[in-house]
Amino acid sequence: MGRVGRAWPALSVPPGLAVKLLLLAAVNGLALLGLPRMVEQRQWGLVVGVVVATGAVDVVYLSRVRSLLPLKYLIPGTILLVLFQLYPVLYTFYTSFTNWSTAHNLSKEQAIELILARSEAPRPDAQRFQARPLVDPQGRLALLLTDRQGRLFLGTPNGLEALPPAEVREGPAGVEVRGYHQLSLVEAAAHQEELLGLRIPTAGGSIRLNTVTTAAVATPTLRYDPRRDVMVNVESGKVYRPVEGRFVADDGEALFPGWRVFVGFDNYVKAFTSPAIRGPFFRAFVWNYVFAASTVFLQFVLGLALAMALDHRRLRWRRVYRSLLVIPYALPSYLTSLIWAGLLNQQFGPVNRLLGTNLDWLGDPRWFGLLPKSAILLVTMWLGFPYFFLVTTGALQSIPAEYTEAAAVDGASGWYAFRTVKLPLLLTAVAPLLIASFAFNFNNFNTIYLLTRGGPPIAGAQTPAGHTDILITYTYRLAFEVGQGSQFGFATSISVLIFVMVMAISMLSYRKTKALEQVR
Amino acid sequence: MSELVRPVPVAVEKTPPRAAEGPRRRRWVREVGWRHFVALAAVLFALYPVAWVVTASINPTGSLASQQLVPTEPTLRHYRNLLRGEIGGAPVPFLAWVRNTLTIAGVSSLGIVFLSALAAYPFSRLRFRGRRAGLLTLLLVQIFPSSAAAVAVFLLLLNLGNVFPAIGIGEKWGLVLVYIGTGLGLNVWLMKGFFDTIPVSLDESARVDGASEFQIFFQITLPLVTPILAVVGLIAFVGIQNDFILPSAVLKQPDDYTLAVGLWQFVSQRYGARWGPFAAGAMMGGAPIVALWFALQRYVVSGLTQGAVKG
Repeated sequence: MGRVGRAWPALSVPPGLAVKLLLLAAVNGLALLGLPRMVEQRQWGLVVGVVVATGAVDVVYLSRVRSLLPLKYLIPGTILLVLFQLYPVLYTFYTSFTNWSTAHNLSKEQAIELILARSEAPRPDAQRFQARPLVDPQGRLALLLTDRQGRLFLGTPNGLEALPPAEVREGPAGVEVRGYHQLSLVEAAAHQEELLGLRIPTAGGSIRLNTVTTAAVATPTLRYDPRRDVMVNVESGKVYRPVEGRFVADDGEALFPGWRVFVGFDNYVKAFTSPAIRGPFFRAFVWNYVFAASTVFLQFVLGLALAMALDHRRLRWRRVYRSLLVIPYALPSYLTSLIWAGLLNQQFGPVNRLLGTNLDWLGDPRWFGLLPKSAILLVTMWLGFPYFFLVTTGALQSIPAEYTEAAAVDGASGWYAFRTVKLPLLLTAVAPLLIASFAFNFNNFNTIYLLTRGGPPIAGAQTPAGHTDILITYTYRLAFEVGQGSQFGFATSISVLIFVMVMAISMLSYRKTKALEQVR
Repeated sequence: MSELVRPVPVAVEKTPPRAAEGPRRRRWVREVGWRHFVALAAVLFALYPVAWVVTASINPTGSLASQQLVPTEPTLRHYRNLLRGEIGGAPVPFLAWVRNTLTIAGVSSLGIVFLSALAAYPFSRLRFRGRRAGLLTLLLVQIFPSSAAAVAVFLLLLNLGNVFPAIGIGEKWGLVLVYIGTGLGLNVWLMKGFFDTIPVSLDESARVDGASEFQIFFQITLPLVTPILAVVGLIAFVGIQNDFILPSAVLKQPDDYTLAVGLWQFVSQRYGARWGPFAAGAMMGGAPIVALWFALQRYVVSGLTQGAVKG
């Protein structure tokens, strides 16, 4: 505390101010560094966000206005909170109204550019070249091209350049030119995919390899007509019109890729009406509630029973028992889920060996996946009962002994006294925890995904859906599991439904705890 | 397990005079004895999977099929292999996973502690317009689980990465920022509660002595809540290292994985063959967290009643 109020020499900068200025300079520098790229990529939302945030930071920390003082504390957290908590929630809503997916991943301009580039093909009379594949020390590929007249060109993804023959040197392992050297046949074979994908842009088309040693000028077979907003086939005149983010011809042929468009409530309508999606979605929905409610119930009942059994003055080793019982809860749940997945393994798992059974605990699709569902409940009960054991132990001990004694005096004893005196008091005390636990388990991704990955799959489902999927594992699989491609639009519409339901649960809990009224 | 069975005979030995032994023992069984039985059954249930992992990690055979609960020739081979980073010739960047987990969860929880303490201070100490609205917003915003917004977070990082590659998809720093941003809501609330318990008179006397607002914050208030800051930070750490959904969506290269994603990738396809090494990895990943948990138990259990739940 000794430094408080110490006077600094008049001309030197106090260290606090120096640090502040350095940090501000860094923030402004980063923003300036990013701006050109944001503009180049036309990310206008980001530009506005960065400019506003940086401006706000500068004003708040450089101003001496007293009323801005709270913001000096709040602004760093606010920026991160808005960007990574609030914005994703809003962005989830936005995305849920689009058709964003692997097939509709781009903006319209990008899609048009890509469609035109993909339509390029050499015409019969196209100019042809001899080609030698090249590579530079950074691994960038290029082509050394020789046309019919024997003129030399260097082709890179940036374009075509004429080469004076003097620049091309014949080395022991092929030609060398401008830092590139020729790929051997073996190397060329290893990079075949990349080489054939190499596109050397020219006016009105591009040069591509036909084989590893020959190339030709390719020109687009499609033309975009911006006035009518259609794609036209140059040779046949076939017209493709934009329909829901794709160019589609009258005969139904569609061009890839598509682009993102707003589809209104289509994703939601699909979840509730499309026959191949509605069924699995509805099952996940119901199982989600059954799972969360049963989990909380089982954890609570087992935890309470143990708390009552172990809550006795004369019981020795109580602390030891308590410490050991808490271990399942103390372990990270990703680990315990993986451990249980091994224990329940059908072929080799110790559980089947212990019971002398041969059950497919995590993969049996019969009876709507009853067995995997039961196994999941067993595991979540195991994971969470220690929590309620601890909590109810505390709650039981806080119930005054007079209550039970009074009940005993009145002639109530045993189970009856417990049910009418202790249990109601206990339930009032832990009700918010039960709700919180329900809300948590409602989105308990780790346990379900790491145990069963949502499987076993539901037969005939159009989307990746399994018998043990809850909504959050379902969205995850829609968005991130490869195979059917990412369906961001549909996945986020399910996320929105999760938000709505979690919000309802939270409101219930806030009403119960009166947290909102207590904000002071 | 034999140690766990001992309590019953010990307690029986204590029951005195032989003459009255019959009825007393019966009374003891009725009142206390059965409780030991229940407790032992519960302990068996709780520790059954743990016991399998402990023994599998020191069992010379790595496969699940040949596991026994009591290994005949215990070995530390699986631990050594993991720490060396290769198993049977195949690279397993276990140490990189540990490093990534420590970095991501460590930096994120430091950020959470610092920024939420910073933000909680004015809510506790200053009176300004929009204060109540700000508090309510915090309470409402943190309702939305970030795991359910994972798709949007992924798309956001995809966009941000085009401009700032260091925080894009596949990078841990993007994840760190996400964890800090999503961890603030709840923790600002917690911190505000702690700050509220520190007498304002301390601030005032410092102010009289000529301290600036930031000096009061950094030199008076923060030191007084340091223990609780540590607890909040460690709890955040435990929560973040356990996260699976975000790192599995964002991180792409095996060398960049966290322990959760790495061990999952490592074992999930081949429980049969990779059980031993996985068990060793689970021990190394889990034991520190359990130790941390026991150290923090007191705080966690009281904090639990404020709604921070798992499992």
